[in-house]
Amino acid sequence: MSAPALRIRGLRKAFPKVVAVDGVELEVARGEVFGLLGPNGAGKTTTLEIIEGLTEADAGDIEILGLTWAKQGQEIRSRIGVQLQSTSLFNKITPREALDLYGSYYPKRRSTLELLDLVQLQEKADAYHITLSGGQQQRLALALALVNDPELVFLDEPTTGLDPQARRSLWDVVRRMKGEGRTVMLTTHYMDEAEALCDRLAIMDHGKVIATGTPASLIAELAIPSVVELTFEGAAPDATAFSARLDQAVERRGDLWEIPTPDPKALLPRLLEAAEVAAVPFQQVHVRRATLEDVFLHRTGRSLRE
Amino acid sequence: MMLWRQFAMEWRLYSRDRVAMFWTFAFPVILLLGFGTIFRDGGGPKLSVVRVQAPAPGPQDAALDQALTDLQLKVQALPKAEAEARWARGETAAQVETEGTGYRLRLNSYLMAQAGATAGLVNQAWLVAQARLSGAPEPGRIPITVESPGRKHSDNYASFLLPGLLGLNLVSMGLFSVGMVNVSYREKGKFRRLAVTPLPKWIFLLGQVLHRLTVTVVQAAILLLVGRLVFGIQNQGSFLDLLLIMTLGTGCFMAFGFALSGFAETSEGYAAISNLVFFPLMLLSGVYFTLDSAPAWLQHAVAAMPLAPFLRALRAVFNDGGTLAGHGVGLAIVAAWGCAAFALAVRRFRWA
Repeated sequence: MSAPALRIRGLRKAFPKVVAVDGVELEVARGEVFGLLGPNGAGKTTTLEIIEGLTEADAGDIEILGLTWAKQGQEIRSRIGVQLQSTSLFNKITPREALDLYGSYYPKRRSTLELLDLVQLQEKADAYHITLSGGQQQRLALALALVNDPELVFLDEPTTGLDPQARRSLWDVVRRMKGEGRTVMLTTHYMDEAEALCDRLAIMDHGKVIATGTPASLIAELAIPSVVELTFEGAAPDATAFSARLDQAVERRGDLWEIPTPDPKALLPRLLEAAEVAAVPFQQVHVRRATLEDVFLHRTGRSLRE
Repeated sequence: MMLWRQFAMEWRLYSRDRVAMFWTFAFPVILLLGFGTIFRDGGGPKLSVVRVQAPAPGPQDAALDQALTDLQLKVQALPKAEAEARWARGETAAQVETEGTGYRLRLNSYLMAQAGATAGLVNQAWLVAQARLSGAPEPGRIPITVESPGRKHSDNYASFLLPGLLGLNLVSMGLFSVGMVNVSYREKGKFRRLAVTPLPKWIFLLGQVLHRLTVTVVQAAILLLVGRLVFGIQNQGSFLDLLLIMTLGTGCFMAFGFALSGFAETSEGYAAISNLVFFPLMLLSGVYFTLDSAPAWLQHAVAAMPLAPFLRALRAVFNDGGTLAGHGVGLAIVAAWGCAAFALAVRRFRWA
């Protein structure tokens, strides 16, 4: 158990029009939930698919559970669990059959009933795959990723397209995986998901890892623990003049202003006074803790959702 | 165990696709019923000749018409204008018309196989008619017997048709449906999830081949049953030999389909590639025309192709009640093609 769950060095993959992965280095310890956070097109999925053995890298070394694809491919496959970004199964296979079938591919397997129970699909156990809802299909994909009792589980955007309630129940399953001692690596473009689930994470942009650490340490490194948000009725006015008057950076983000500050208590009275004088027609003032979204914004100058 | 599960699951999923299953089993039966009924009486299509009616028929014309009928030609007597119109439409293979005191025979250059055979009979009929008119003894004729290579012949056209249908159906299923389905599933990403499991490619492919093999056996059983009940066609050989030939043939042509699917990126690409293989296989198999006049190298190459030995063995057992004794080499060729195609299929197979 000495080798880390995953160690990646100098990973690179170029497609004809874009360098998808550009020198990624990562290390994931056993038993942790590790997140790859980044906007669409950052290279998260390509990185994950190279690790899973679906895509061949142009350069770089990967060690999974101390094993390499070149020498121990079959052993890696039997010890990892994978949920692809979209899992396309045969239309008329049922969850029970799919779990039985996929289980039969592995030397070690968990019981189908236990897995159906874990992802709460007992009632849909004998329904055709095509009749399941998006959330149910996603949960079946998650159960399939656990069918071989894997040590290391890869989840590619497990909650994309799910409603809030389905997301919460999926988070619970991920937390249980961690409780069972599994290592989990997931990708997401939701910062709240990364904050809620991940012990550590790497933020990716344009194929590069731009920051690594625990969610708390990444936010702390920003040195701006809080953000004051001003909202308006309709579009926000131009902030340049106001920023000069306040002697403080005021950023316009869509229909609101954001003012990052290490000390919201001192800022608020000054802000309200200046707004009164300049007749800024704000509706609400909202003070919030800085999030991973702000970390991404700070490092790239862009929003995660852009 | 892994192979059994793969096989059983293929069957289960297949049985849920009712429409595809219905056509797989019903289509060959429909063909057999259709063609078998059309050519029910006699041994398949008959030779025919168009006879342009003479303006004033004499005894010579009557004698010729009688002789043509005696020689088993189907004679269609038509007035001049109608016969010419029919000729112009290209429907006539051979036409006899009066010229001076004698006759002239016109043959359609597009239908030379029928026309040539008809020409021989028409000339013979003319000899007979002349002898009858002059009171001379009729010219002697060499007796003809129609026989299959195994020296049996059934007048029932359906019994000749049935093994051909079995064989053709199997080839088209292997080359067209199996390979096409494989490519389209890959396009839709249905195999991607399997790529991250330890399932070996050869087990996945062998499971599918075995599934198709059993589908074909069921298909053949239904066809044989219908052939027997409707047309009274009997398998003249042993069912075990028949099963062995069908197994080898199915395995070979299914493997062909899987191997070809490894070379196509898209379904459209597959259609082109499968036709590229299908047409030479059919045309050079010796099924449609003999290759006696082809260059020697081509004849050697054709002898090593799998379709002809497969169909020969199938007909020898089914129609002629033969054994596999004389077909060892032929069936070995089929098996060798099957193994090579399967190895290529495993090598070229991609999950995504």
